[in-house]
Amino acid sequence: MLRRTAGWFDTRLGTSAFVQKALTKVFPDHWSFMIGEIALYSFVVLLLTGTFLTFFFDASTSHSVYRGAYEPLNGVEVSDAYRSVLELSFDVRAGLVMRQIHHWAALVFIGSIVAHLCRVFFTGAFRRPREINWIIGVLLLILAIFNGFSGYSLPDDLLSGTGLRIAHSIALSVPLVGTWMAFLLFGGEFPADEIIGRLFVVHIMIVPALIIGLLTVHLAVVWRQKHTQFREPGRTEGNVVGSRLWPSYTAKSIGLFFAVSAVLSVMGGLVQINPVWLYGPFEPQQVTSPAQPDWYLGWVEGALRLVPPFDVRLFGYEIPNPFFPAVLLPGVTFTLLLAWPFLEQRFARDKEAHHLLDRPRDHPVRTALGATTLTFYTVMFVAASNDLIAKWLGASIFGITLIFRILILLLPPLVGWGTYRLMKALAASGAGHLSEMPLAALTNRGADGHGAHVDGGKGHGAAGPPGDGHAGNRLGAPAEEARTPGG
Amino acid sequence: MRSDLRDMSRRQRTSPPGSGVALAFGFSAVSSIALTVVYGFGGQPQLEGLLLGIALGGLAVGLVRWAQDLMPGGGYVEQRDTEMGGPAQSAAAVRSFERGEQEVQRRSFLGKALAAALGALGLAALFPIRSLGSAPGTSLEVTPWAEGIRAVTIDGEPVRPEDLEIGGVLTVFPDGHLDAADAQTLLIHLPPGVYRPVASGREGWAPEDFVAFSKVCTHAGCPVGLYQPANRRLFCPCHQSIFDVLDAAAPIAGPATRPLPQLPLEIDADGFIAAGGDYSEPIGPGYWSRPRA
Amino acid sequence: MKLRCARSGWAVKVLTALGAIALGGCAYTSNLTNPHPSQEPVADTPERGRVLYLRDCAWCHAAEGSGTGRGPDLISDTNGAAFTDFMLSTGRMPINDPSEPTRFSSPSYNPSEIEDLVAYVASLGGDGPPIPVVDTQAGDLALGLELYQENCAACHSTTGVGGALAAGPDPFDRSLIAPALTQSTPVQIAEAMQVGPGTMPVFGRDTFSDTEVDSIVRYLGHLQRPDDRGGLPLGHVGPVTEGAIGWLVGVGGALLIVRLIGTRVGEE
Repeated sequence: MLRRTAGWFDTRLGTSAFVQKALTKVFPDHWSFMIGEIALYSFVVLLLTGTFLTFFFDASTSHSVYRGAYEPLNGVEVSDAYRSVLELSFDVRAGLVMRQIHHWAALVFIGSIVAHLCRVFFTGAFRRPREINWIIGVLLLILAIFNGFSGYSLPDDLLSGTGLRIAHSIALSVPLVGTWMAFLLFGGEFPADEIIGRLFVVHIMIVPALIIGLLTVHLAVVWRQKHTQFREPGRTEGNVVGSRLWPSYTAKSIGLFFAVSAVLSVMGGLVQINPVWLYGPFEPQQVTSPAQPDWYLGWVEGALRLVPPFDVRLFGYEIPNPFFPAVLLPGVTFTLLLAWPFLEQRFARDKEAHHLLDRPRDHPVRTALGATTLTFYTVMFVAASNDLIAKWLGASIFGITLIFRILILLLPPLVGWGTYRLMKALAASGAGHLSEMPLAALTNRGADGHGAHVDGGKGHGAAGPPGDGHAGNRLGAPAEEARTPGG
Repeated sequence: MRSDLRDMSRRQRTSPPGSGVALAFGFSAVSSIALTVVYGFGGQPQLEGLLLGIALGGLAVGLVRWAQDLMPGGGYVEQRDTEMGGPAQSAAAVRSFERGEQEVQRRSFLGKALAAALGALGLAALFPIRSLGSAPGTSLEVTPWAEGIRAVTIDGEPVRPEDLEIGGVLTVFPDGHLDAADAQTLLIHLPPGVYRPVASGREGWAPEDFVAFSKVCTHAGCPVGLYQPANRRLFCPCHQSIFDVLDAAAPIAGPATRPLPQLPLEIDADGFIAAGGDYSEPIGPGYWSRPRA
Repeated sequence: MKLRCARSGWAVKVLTALGAIALGGCAYTSNLTNPHPSQEPVADTPERGRVLYLRDCAWCHAAEGSGTGRGPDLISDTNGAAFTDFMLSTGRMPINDPSEPTRFSSPSYNPSEIEDLVAYVASLGGDGPPIPVVDTQAGDLALGLELYQENCAACHSTTGVGGALAAGPDPFDRSLIAPALTQSTPVQIAEAMQVGPGTMPVFGRDTFSDTEVDSIVRYLGHLQRPDDRGGLPLGHVGPVTEGAIGWLVGVGGALLIVRLIGTRVGEE
């Protein structure tokens, strides 16, 4: 039967050659290569649960009366969007668990993209020839954040409505075109009635389609270029060592899909997220405190809270305060992220192709810069909770804010410097792992510069030539012979 | 190396290989059936999530254990090209393109005409974007407030001075414009005598110790909903700007740079609180062409 | 959880604050020791209110309630029965030291002592509102929700867990919060609305009818036992704790799983 089907397709499309190659394709087994798959499978969960939700969500701000199981709002006139989310949560069987899995999946989706990005960054996996996939990955991150925000805004509850209010103000703050931009995006002055319907189309169609398109290209490029791998015996620039797609890697990967969906399902069932019935329907003159966005916009929110009060007025025109933390900062952030592979190629004078990964210590400058950047965004992220921290600590909000203002200037360079020292010392100590490094290595200032020597040839100099002594060292063994016995 | 260890541990195990995998799949199936039963009896979010999680988790454990313990894994080697393509190949591709390009350039006028037509179409296709929203016009600069319009609560009730105690605060709208989000106003009853108009020309804007300020924050537009009568300050919960009511709502902390616009008040002939005109300046967050107050 | 944290000392305060992060709440209970633990109960006579007042209150508020440099007068503004009952029954008064913040705690007096003290303070001449009568059942849940959202949620949060405030820009100011309403009684809520304690505005009888007050109190009763149909409530503070769980349990859990599925360098 299988033979006949394969033959049927092969005689029409010539698929067998590809299928043969695909089934025996080798994937490295290192755990960190699967972080991207967490994001992929969270996205699949998002699509599955999201499709269910679309059957019940009503993307309209027209008003109607909610009649259902949630007592305090029973008989209250609310927007259709809010009413349908209430019904989903209380009156549609399995609706709430689907909604909650969807929301948790969104948080984990973007979180795992960031984790994946960090893995790729700190191991140098973005270097030639993988710049294209780095760019696509950053674009996927931007799209994911955007889709997260548009989804968060759909229920038309008080918290998300406040978020949309701030988004409108941020759009307004853009020089020259801001006013028109805000009016065209929202359909008019806030709160324009069109925005929920528009966000819905963006959230369930436009952005997911873009994500699916870019994700396909992302995976196709990985497929074509093959995975990177860590330096280990038998692994060279010219080969890939690991498990075959069929059946071993397929089973593990599908297993990971089920594992990710299991985690998300348990969270969706046991941990309440975004209880919009407690937040109440959006009314433009109402507000709640504390008011934070979902975590992936926390850094922008923190920046809005940390930036000191100033506007720019030039020739009778104004650049309002929110432009700097909420437009300029994200703009610079993502531009630098997109440009990073090219910046590093330029400054490290390394335009060679690399398929063997760096360990973070092999490139202390990059690692230190990455740590500095992460610290900078983490401080902003935590500062977005300044009011809650003030409440929990029993301190003044402005005391907490002052501490964050100091930390954001002090901590990133400090962490960067510490990381640099640590990486240098680690490379010099020749320890296999951070935990095995003798403490003395860190205090031994003379250790600098001996890295490559003590390192047993595993690593290579920070900014030097790629040091790839193994380039010609192909095993040349056919895959069948090289596999270890087992199974 | 690892598979050798695996082989050893497998030999030591008493149960047949794969029994753990089968057990996991069994768990999953039982959980799925339980999930159906829970759903059938009306559903319960926590049970649904938990049972779905066990059903999926069982599949995950089974598949991964199967792959790790019973399938050939690791150690396969595949060769790769360190660089894709090559200079000869790209040169050939470029030549092919240039040959065709010469054909096109021979009719350069047609090419230009095509570019013009496509450009015009592109431009024309941009215009529907304009349909997405109304023109800003002066809508950011004016609100429905005007002289004589009564301040009403969200229920449409007009307000008399005696309806609000000293130290009280109410959110009011212009009568007939309850949906005008840009006209939301904080009506505050101050203790007698504490308010002195700071800005010139605002004498008489605070009859009977009532003052009114736009509720829309001048930073990012949140409702400045938190009034603290003890120190007569307003606090914005979103980004923590503080405005001093006694100083014409000037910002004294947080990221806001401009005071909350003040609404002139008057008591009308029937004894209700009404506006004496529109706000002192455009309300809400800043924008490129915002006129200077 | 009752934690006794020693008072005074900068280091102790820092430790208390750190403990508050770890244990969630030490900072609130640390100042709540009964200020007069050694004093004997006063016999239940018609004079008891006055005796208690002179013993525990007059030091700061003066014998006639006219106030001193240590404490405000008890006659002007909204002072009167409701205000006094609110301050005493929520344990905000008495305090040991005039510089101490007034915070919710268990009351220092039993209900009948509070009754006598309230009667005595009210007799000093404050014409603030009397203790309100609340009939929760007469309230309308939906109306209460609308009024709560419109007037209270900005400070106390839509979920009633309270929020941070600030009086001014000084970073060294004392913390200022809109307290959580999770333990307030119906009468205390109605009292607070009518007298505006601390930095709270007054939402008096002229502004809200009895039915409206009953409705708000009824909705707050619902918020005190909210419908957490979705599972663990995570403190009802929204995206901050959700994000923490999303990272720790969600992303963290998934990373742990891939770590178990995949291999490490040198492990093959």
